[in-house]
This record gives sequence, C-alpha cells and structure tokens, in this order.
Amino acid sequence: MIAQEVAGRAAARGAPDAFARVTREHSLMLRFAAGRPTQSTAIDDLTVEIAIPFRGQVGRASTNAVDDRALANCAERARLAAEAAAAVGESNFPGFDPTPLPGAGDPGFGFDPRTAELDPEVGAAALADAFAVAGEQGLEAHGIWTVAQQEEAWAMGDRSGAERRTDAFMKVICIAPSGRSGYASRTAITVADIPARELAEQAARKAVVDGEPARLGPGEYTVVFEPAAVGWLLDLLAGSAFNGLAHAEGRGALDGRLGQRVAVPLVNLSDSPRSARTLPRSFDAEGTRKAPIPLIQDGVAHSVAHDRRSAAIAGATSTGHALAPGGSPSGPSPTNLVLAGGGASDETELCGPVERGVYVTRLWYANVVRPKETLITAVTRDGTFLIENGRITRPLRDLRLTDSVLGILSRTQAIARHQQLTSDGEFYGRRFAYGIVCPALRAGAVRFTA
Amino acid sequence: MRDLLRDLIDSAQARAGYADARFVRSRVERLSTRNGRLDQLDSDESEGIGIRVRVGGSWGFAAARGTDRADAEDALRRALAIAEAQPSVPDAAPLAPEPPARGEWATPVERDPFNVPVEEKLAILLAADLGLRTDPGVKITLARFSAFQTEKLFANSEGALCEQRITECGGGIAAVAVDGADTQVRSYPASHGGHVAEAGYEHFLALELPGHAPLVASEAAELLRAPACPHGRSTLILAGEQLGLQVHESVGHAVELDRILGREASYAGTSFVPHDGIGSLRFGSERVNVTADATVPGGLGSFRWDDEGVEGRPVPIVRDGVLAGFLSSRETASEIGLERSGGCMRAEGFARQPIVRMTNVNLDPGEAGTLEQLIADTDDGLLIETNRSWSIDDRRLHFQFEGEAAWEIKHGERGRLVRNPSYAGMTPEFWGSCDAVCSPSEWSLISLLDCGKGEPGQVMRVSHGTAPARFRDVEVGVA
Repeated sequence: MIAQEVAGRAAARGAPDAFARVTREHSLMLRFAAGRPTQSTAIDDLTVEIAIPFRGQVGRASTNAVDDRALANCAERARLAAEAAAAVGESNFPGFDPTPLPGAGDPGFGFDPRTAELDPEVGAAALADAFAVAGEQGLEAHGIWTVAQQEEAWAMGDRSGAERRTDAFMKVICIAPSGRSGYASRTAITVADIPARELAEQAARKAVVDGEPARLGPGEYTVVFEPAAVGWLLDLLAGSAFNGLAHAEGRGALDGRLGQRVAVPLVNLSDSPRSARTLPRSFDAEGTRKAPIPLIQDGVAHSVAHDRRSAAIAGATSTGHALAPGGSPSGPSPTNLVLAGGGASDETELCGPVERGVYVTRLWYANVVRPKETLITAVTRDGTFLIENGRITRPLRDLRLTDSVLGILSRTQAIARHQQLTSDGEFYGRRFAYGIVCPALRAGAVRFTA
Repeated sequence: MRDLLRDLIDSAQARAGYADARFVRSRVERLSTRNGRLDQLDSDESEGIGIRVRVGGSWGFAAARGTDRADAEDALRRALAIAEAQPSVPDAAPLAPEPPARGEWATPVERDPFNVPVEEKLAILLAADLGLRTDPGVKITLARFSAFQTEKLFANSEGALCEQRITECGGGIAAVAVDGADTQVRSYPASHGGHVAEAGYEHFLALELPGHAPLVASEAAELLRAPACPHGRSTLILAGEQLGLQVHESVGHAVELDRILGREASYAGTSFVPHDGIGSLRFGSERVNVTADATVPGGLGSFRWDDEGVEGRPVPIVRDGVLAGFLSSRETASEIGLERSGGCMRAEGFARQPIVRMTNVNLDPGEAGTLEQLIADTDDGLLIETNRSWSIDDRRLHFQFEGEAAWEIKHGERGRLVRNPSYAGMTPEFWGSCDAVCSPSEWSLISLLDCGKGEPGQVMRVSHGTAPARFRDVEVGVA
C-alpha cells in the first residue's frame, strides 16, 4: 500500500513524536445531465500531513509529493511551525498516542477489489441504464456515478496503522417536461450494489406523479421524511450537538443537557464506525481507534464526540473523531451516524395517520442558523408531495423548512423499520466518503417558513 | 514543464478533437489563534497536472500529482479512455472560438505573504486576540490569517500557452459571547474567514485587526442583551459582506450558464433565468446594474486568463434592471449562440476540471451618496452588514439569510443593536424592491472563501464589489 510506505518515511523525517498521516484517493466520477454525459473526472492524488507537537502546540504541514526531499521539506515546515507556535506559550494539545494496527489494513473490511478497479465501462453501462429508463418515460436523467479507492495510513515512531476502503455512489434525478423532478440515490462499499436502473425508476416515479403542484403556505405540518432527508437533518445535528470542542466551550446544543431528554424515547442515535452498514473506518485522523459511542439513547442525550484536543479541554478521552492531526479548528465530528429503526413498516405506513401533511424526499442548501438551538433552514427538493387522508395525493411546490433538529426529534411520532445508508455524494477536497444510516420518520408540527 | 504540456497536447490530438493541460502548483498558509493560544498553523503545498480531452462531444479529465512525465502520460491515457467509454454526443456544439492565450501575468504584490516570518503574523493575531478578550461576556476569541499562492501553466490544442501567478492574502477576527442558551458572534471585517484579497501581505496589515477588536468584542456581548429582530415587513439596508453574499447567491449563481442549461441540475441546481432572457428578463429595479469583471484589482475573481485560456474582461450581467449577460464557458456560450465565452471557467487546483464559476460579480455603484446619507434618507428600517447563515433554493429564487447583527434605523438615524436579524425573499421581487444604491465612494470588495460547486466538489474564492443598497418592504424576522 503506497500510503503506508509513505507514512513511514514521512514520520521518519520528523521529530520522534512527529505524526504522519497519508490519505490517497483514486477515484472516478462520471457526471451526466439531460440524458448525456457531461463531465468525467479521474483523480489519483494523495496528501501527506506531518504534525509535530511541541509544548502543547501543533505545527502542521502537508504536501502531495512523496520523494524523500519533499518529505524532509514538509517535516521541516511542520517543525518550524511548531517552534513558532510554542514561542507563544504552552497550549493544551496532549500529544499523539495512536493505537497501533497490525498489518497493512484489513482488505476485507470496507474494501471491494472490483470497485477499486474504477472501471469506466461499468459506469458507462450505469449511465446507459439511467438514460434508457428516463427516455422511456419522456424524462431527462441527471446525476453522477462515482467509485473510489481510498488508502489511509499513519505512522509515529514504531507505531503505524493503515486501511483501504472503497465506496460507490450513484444518484439519479429525473426531470419531467413540466419541470417536476424526482430523486433516488444509493451509497455502498461495492459498485455491484449500485442498481442504476432501479434508481432511475424510483426517481422517475416521483417526477411523473399526476397533478399540478399545489402551493402550501407557511405554517406547521406533519411531515414524513424519507431517509435522505433524515440524513441531512442528522448531519446538521452532528455539527451542532455532538462536536466535543463546541460542547467543551459551552457553544454546543447539548451544553448542560447530557443526561436529559432531548428527543422522544423512540430516538436512538449512535456513531458506529465499525458497522458494516456504514462506510466503516477503523481510526481517526490522529490514529486513535474509533469507538462506537451512544449519542442519544431512548431520547436522552448521552455523549459527544472528541478528538485529543477537545478531550483534553473537557477532561475526557478521545473517542476517535479527529478530522485532522492535532484537531480540526472546527472540532471533532461523528462520521458514522446510525439512527435505529422503529416499528413502521415503510413510508406508506408512516403516511397512514396523516390527515394533511407534507412528504419530503430530500432537503437542499441546509444551513445551521443558530447552532445552540439546532435551528436550521433548508428547502425541499426533487419530490415534495401533499399527504391527504393518509396517502400522497399530489405534488407540492418546494417549501422552506426552518426548525430545530432536536425539536423535530422531540416531535417524532414514528420511525420506519428499514434503514438506508444515505449520502449526498459531496466530495470536496481529498475524498472523504461518509454516510448516515437512517430510516424514514414522521414528525409533527414541523415549521415551514415559506 | 512547457515542453511536457506541449507534448501531452500533441499526443492527445491524435484521438481528441480538443485537449488542454494545466500544471498547477498551490501553496496555502493558515494561521489562527483561539482564546490567546494557537489554534491552527498549517502550511500546505501541492502540484500536479490536469488533462482534459473532448472526444466525440464527450469530455474526459484525469489528473496526476507531481511533474513526472510518465504519470502525466498515464493521466492522458485515462482521460482519453474515459471520454471514449461514454455514450457519444453527436450533436455537441463546437467550442466558441477564442484566440490562443499567450503570455505571462502575476498579481501585483508589495510583500509576498509567504516570505513574512510566521512570528510576525502570529504577533498581529495575538494582539487582535487579546483585544477581543476585553469584555467578560466574550468566551471565545478567534483571529485568522490566510494566504494562497497559485501558479498555473496552461496549454491547449489550439496553440494557447500562458502562465499566471496569483497571490491572495487576508484575515479576520471574531468574538463569541455565550450566556446560557444563547450564543452570539461578531466578526470583522467579515464572517466566514474575514476578508481576503488578491494582494500581498500589505492587505492583511491594512485590515488593522487589533484596532477593531475591542468594538467587535463589545458588540458580541451587547447582542446577548439586544432585542430580537421582530417579525414583519421592513425597509432593509444591506452593506458589506451581507450585500455581497446576496449578490453572490441570488445573482451570481443564477446567471451561470451551465446551471441555466441544466448541467448542474444534479447538484447545485438550475436557475429561474431562461437562456433566452437577455434583453427581456426583468431582474430588478432600474437601480440595479451588475457586472462580472475579472479585471478588478484585488478581486479574488481576477485573472488574466481563465482556466480555458479565455482572457478576462468585464461582462454586463444586469443593465437598468434587465438581464444583459451570463457567466459562461466556451462550450455553454456556443450552445446558445454567443460569440465568445464570458471567460468564467475556473478549477480548484490541478485535480479538478474547470467549470463555470463567478469572476468578480459586482453591483455597480449608484447615486445615493454615502451610507450615512442613505440612513438619513430612511425613516424606518434595519441595517445588516455581516452574515451568519444563508440558504437559497435550487433555482435561486427563494432565499433566507440571517445576519450577525442589525441596527435599527429610526427617523434617519442608526439606532440600537438587534440580534438574530433574518430576512427572506424571492430574487426578482427583492431586487425589484431596490430603490437606492450608494455612490462610488462607498463601493468596495468583499470576499467569499468557500463557494462550493461541481462534482467532485470544488471550493472557489470569489469577491463581490458593492455599495450599500436599500430594499423596500422585505420580510424580516423569519427564523
């Protein structure tokens, strides 16, 4: 594994307590719009990060070159940064203490060799399937198909760890001549689990629902959220409520609320990084072994995620949620959220008791307004429907949701049994594929502001 | 490197109708302090080559890190294989014609920020950080410095060969006041990373962060005690970062031609603006004039050539409230019959392909005098300058923003501070309600450092020039 070899050489260029991390991305993404391929991107790149702790401060440097000279230069930049930082005075970073992992990572855990081939022909066939399904119904197909192999390795002194992962993702948005659209996506470890035709059919069904879109005014409505929408809500909650740094600084939504009820007892939320249903990870950016942590149990706030810095501030132990060696300025975050399934068989059953409400396929442009309140705003997109007398009756114009995520979880009435690994397939910077495992749910009095 | 790019292009031409290659070397330095201690000290470098080919109307793009010839040739092979594997696009439009870009260009810089000792930068940040800790209500203090340097060499199969070196530098401060269930933040000169300009270290010094810190701290603490923004309809004066972000989200993205043509429907979305709306679509009131200009000194959307080799120039976007143009590429311009690309193709680093991005999309100044004169001319309203939260739908129609703070305007005077000021609207109606834009003396650039678009995602730094503007009958207090 390239990453492991480079991490070892990088660490050797630094001080004895230098921590080196290498993340390699080998990815392929095929993009399509209006039933034709538009952009295709193949990336083979890596990032070497060297972090040197000194008097509680951390100097960091990175490069994407792997020759010895470049690594020595990177280590020197990190050392100079650490020394400059230490001149300011002592800080609170306790140093690195990574958990050694034997061998070169477990290729059977979260890794699929066929996916790692990044075969463009497989992608082209998936696009052709999507185009065919959409074309048969007079719809345009838009979306992406993408696969990747990632290597992540770290080294410090004689300790090291490495892991290989694959991920695959496809989303299809079908757009009807009327402008109405439908969405479906799938996230998986193996490309064989991406059913292009099935996704296109799901998206198409939503785009062709009969009836003119109705306009619903601002107000509070009972809402059935599909898993993709629930995933958006939980992703925003992660940053507001489970960030150990924000919590330690009194900015977090669970500040003073651990041990208290913050959601209905139906809600059981954890971070489960070793679960095969997620995109699993063994260690974090500081080499700390990731541990499963219960976040909300039976509706009661239980814990937050920590990296080594936030843990030091809070007097706690790192839970293995560092996003950068020495801690990201934004703090740690869960990467493998799992919301437990409930008793409802599916979305149809969730709609059953709803006299008049809203069915939401997904959310878009969601942003936290006030983190301490977990107040967010987002718009619905690609499949918003009116529920009347227990069933979907017609499309709705998209709505703007402005509500507290913990508030929604406190008004949750039922949760579906089946969970889905959801992701929005956003790959900024060095690819960091992650997803949220969650079911559909129904919540009451969800606030829409437009 | 020039020879390598030329050779790659020569090789590509045997199988591709068009090809371009970019070598990009990037340097980034980020320093920040938090509560008087170092928070971040990162020094990042990367370099590599991105190769884009067009075969039968289908694009293929592959990237290789470093400068190794064999790796670059392998990237070319992958780009060609990907393009050839895809369904052909027989009716693909030709690229809009463009003379080959030739020459060199660099950001004018007085002092290279990468040559300034870290200790000097840290001293300024720590002084600012100390100044933020002057109010007991403030619990978290932040001071940031950032610098970016990008060297680009571009060649294409039409004979272009040009080189650019772009330097960007800046920073900002923020104070977070915490009291029980409430958290309030104030920033200077802007939130979300402060103000970065295409300039040298002199720009960071000119921000004078330490001098502004005490006021930032006291306003953050004052916000904890300030009345909440009432719900209703109000006159709104937007200035600085908030107005720049309003332009960015509701004008800049809305006039990206790739979105308008549906190319971004799978992610960023589409647009309410039709591709045939030039000259007929009313975008705002007659006071509203917007220009996309890649030649503005200091703007993060400024360059000599875009990443497709098109020379930057001012492009009218809105004239007297009517749509006048788009942000475009050679391909999208050709598709709707424009003679030239708007020169808006930009890529993040070497490993992403260029897509249609904003240059400096600027609200042109008006004739309403200074901000104080505009306030004096306003009987009742709110003034918002700094952003805290933003969201807009996938057609760029319905938006909702929340500022860090607002000031009440009563009888022509700036009044008390208001917390959690939010407002919402529909793009054409909102810009249609603009009845005043301040004069050129008030016009300045703001920066946005994290504009996301594209798949795989690309983050772009952009600037927007604005002078304070007034909007009537806006829904406020919505969040």
